[in-house]
Amino acid sequence: MALSLGFVVGILGVVILSHAAYSTVQYRGLLKIMEEEFSGPPLTVVAELLLGLGFCMWAALTVPGTFLSIHPYSEENRIVSLPDNLDFMIFNHRAKVFPVELDLKFKH
Amino acid sequence: MGASEKKSSEAAFDVPTLNAENLQSNMKVIYYSRTFMSIIGGIIAGILGFTGLTGFIFYFLIMTVTSVGLIAKTGFTVYSYFDSWSQIILDGFLGGLLSFVLFWTFAYDIVHIF
Repeated sequence: MALSLGFVVGILGVVILSHAAYSTVQYRGLLKIMEEEFSGPPLTVVAELLLGLGFCMWAALTVPGTFLSIHPYSEENRIVSLPDNLDFMIFNHRAKVFPVELDLKFKH
Repeated sequence: MGASEKKSSEAAFDVPTLNAENLQSNMKVIYYSRTFMSIIGGIIAGILGFTGLTGFIFYFLIMTVTSVGLIAKTGFTVYSYFDSWSQIILDGFLGGLLSFVLFWTFAYDIVHIF
């Protein structure tokens, strides 16, 4: 798979998050030794998590692909959507040899 | 003739055709973005040690930020890429919740219990 920038940023974000997880595990080990309660990870870990979140958010918005316009008349779609345009569709079938049907009203 | 009259009266009911293939591709893009962000949000919630309601509040926060990011990605012209607002805001919300809870409990177990 081609390593685009967004992909690399995403992997970097995940690596930062796993490093933060490892630091938290070590912090908890330290707390167990000192017999204190776990109230929250240290500030450096929180900062690291925010950085990882930022990277992953950027990757989530750029990696899956760009948005394509859905209007058939927009600049980039004019040529591409010609086959879908109803004006150019021709329906030929053998029923055209039947006489034209009249609008018959329902009589009680 | 009868055929041409039928066509002009149908013009009033003509639904503006949308490029369905592009619409579907756009929905796929939102789905991937939302799923990835739910997973990342779950991991972060587990590392931070959230339990109970705080975690779900965190999930809604992450989803809101993702929605704002997606709307910014369209350049704030939602209607040129999607049918309606609800598609870009609500799609994939509940599916992401399940992934969030899964990775939340996973990360919480790894970091805080083992």
